[in-house]
Amino acid sequence: MNIDEIFDYTSFTIDREPHIILDPTVCAGCVQRGCVNSCPARCYSYNETEGSVTFVYDGCLECGTCYIVCDRNAFTRWGYPRGGFGVAFRMT
Amino acid sequence: MNRKFQAIVVGAGPAGASAALGMARAGLDVALVERGNFPGEKSMFGGLLHRMTSLEELFPDFWLRAPLERHIAKKGTTFMTAESSFHVQNETTNFSRTPYNGYTCFRPRFDRWLAQEAQKAGATLITRALVEDVIIRGGKVSGIKILREGGILEAPVVIAADGVLSFTALKAGLRRPKFNVGQMAVGVKALIDLPKEVIDDRFGLSGDQGFANEYVGCTGGVRGGGFLYTNYDTVSVGLVLHLGSLRESGKTPYDLMNSFLEQPQLAKLLKGGRLLEYSAHVIPEGGYDMIPELVGDGILVAGDAAAFCNATGVNLEGINLATHSGSLAAKTVIAAHGEKDFSKKGLSRYKALLNDSYVMKDLKAFRHAPHMLHIDRIYQEYPELICSMMEHIYRIDGTPKSSISKLLLRELKEKVGLKNALSDIFTAWRAL
Repeated sequence: MNIDEIFDYTSFTIDREPHIILDPTVCAGCVQRGCVNSCPARCYSYNETEGSVTFVYDGCLECGTCYIVCDRNAFTRWGYPRGGFGVAFRMT
Repeated sequence: MNRKFQAIVVGAGPAGASAALGMARAGLDVALVERGNFPGEKSMFGGLLHRMTSLEELFPDFWLRAPLERHIAKKGTTFMTAESSFHVQNETTNFSRTPYNGYTCFRPRFDRWLAQEAQKAGATLITRALVEDVIIRGGKVSGIKILREGGILEAPVVIAADGVLSFTALKAGLRRPKFNVGQMAVGVKALIDLPKEVIDDRFGLSGDQGFANEYVGCTGGVRGGGFLYTNYDTVSVGLVLHLGSLRESGKTPYDLMNSFLEQPQLAKLLKGGRLLEYSAHVIPEGGYDMIPELVGDGILVAGDAAAFCNATGVNLEGINLATHSGSLAAKTVIAAHGEKDFSKKGLSRYKALLNDSYVMKDLKAFRHAPHMLHIDRIYQEYPELICSMMEHIYRIDGTPKSSISKLLLRELKEKVGLKNALSDIFTAWRAL
């Protein structure tokens, strides 16, 4: 299983607006970055040169992991996609 | 859309749909609100549906009506290392007689079916509706605001069945704003296709018989375990990883999943299978100690939203507790309409019903089980000990054998340490 090919396995209807927004100033001071390794869809990545964490919402499984593992409440917004958008499980 | 109902249910999963069904059958005007395009679209679980007596009350022929995959005839546990495995299994023809003890199923089908049954009974299903806010008037929950056509739905009582993170319970002030990372796990799952005949042959099944297996030692030392459940012509296989431990390990769920899938004994069982779908979801594993406030003025909490999940280590129960709590919430609301009392006190009947049921009794009985699951050696050292000991017992290599007790002592000293072993036995004893 290659997580980079998540769009081949799982269906998404991607909204224009992200449903999760990070506050970069909070993330900049974080050394734990539990979101980066714990997210099962690899939506979070850490840029070492800039010292910043970025979140890409396209392949988000809406599992809730980042909401739990972030100790700093770095979310300007943490919600689910609008009705009708986001991940669409066919079988699971 | 602005409408008044006699009750609103947030979330059309097993808890919400059971609640809506129960209330609709009693003649109440009920709204069942779901953020997905259809109920089940956002639902994910390992794949095992335990027997649900509360649904059997509503559908005496449940197993003929519900869209299920296979009934569970066989259950096993495998202790696993990167190279070895030791497997124990229970099979009985009793489990192939109705009422079945459990099933595999797909949530997008099952949840949709249950919600349709609620609709048939008269409930109004509103899909693509994300709840934006809970309306509170005079300290009482009196409705919800949905993110669809700016709609306001009003009712004297709301049932929050919107899953583990329940923002409805949060907005009503019933759950704490911050979860304890040590009480949460994430489940990740791969759905793998294999022809029915191949599944029957590999797992020793016939007809609609299914196999449910749990794995210990397959998580790279992270607290948690693995599972494999056979569906009709697919296999659900995945890991449950405790979030505190996962975060600390720096490992990723998908790398751990790949190591699990590549373990030689598991890889043989899945050979030739193609990955059809990948999914993940958080699981409330803190048990009794993480249950939020269940009742407020004009509001009840059910299912995962109430942390009704029993992870005792043997069975992982969730949906059965969800449907049962949903049914009890329905009974409470029906009675509240009779008495016209939707205050916290009036709705506290729900707590009494829960306390009288297996939901709360089991959660109380296994209250300390999560502590045992915090013995980190369970996830690596003990499986290694078991596999290595069994290998020594079975190995014939021309050297004299030592007694099993000597062997156990030697392996225990080497892999765990005697002091650790005694402390773990003590922890396990206290927990159970």
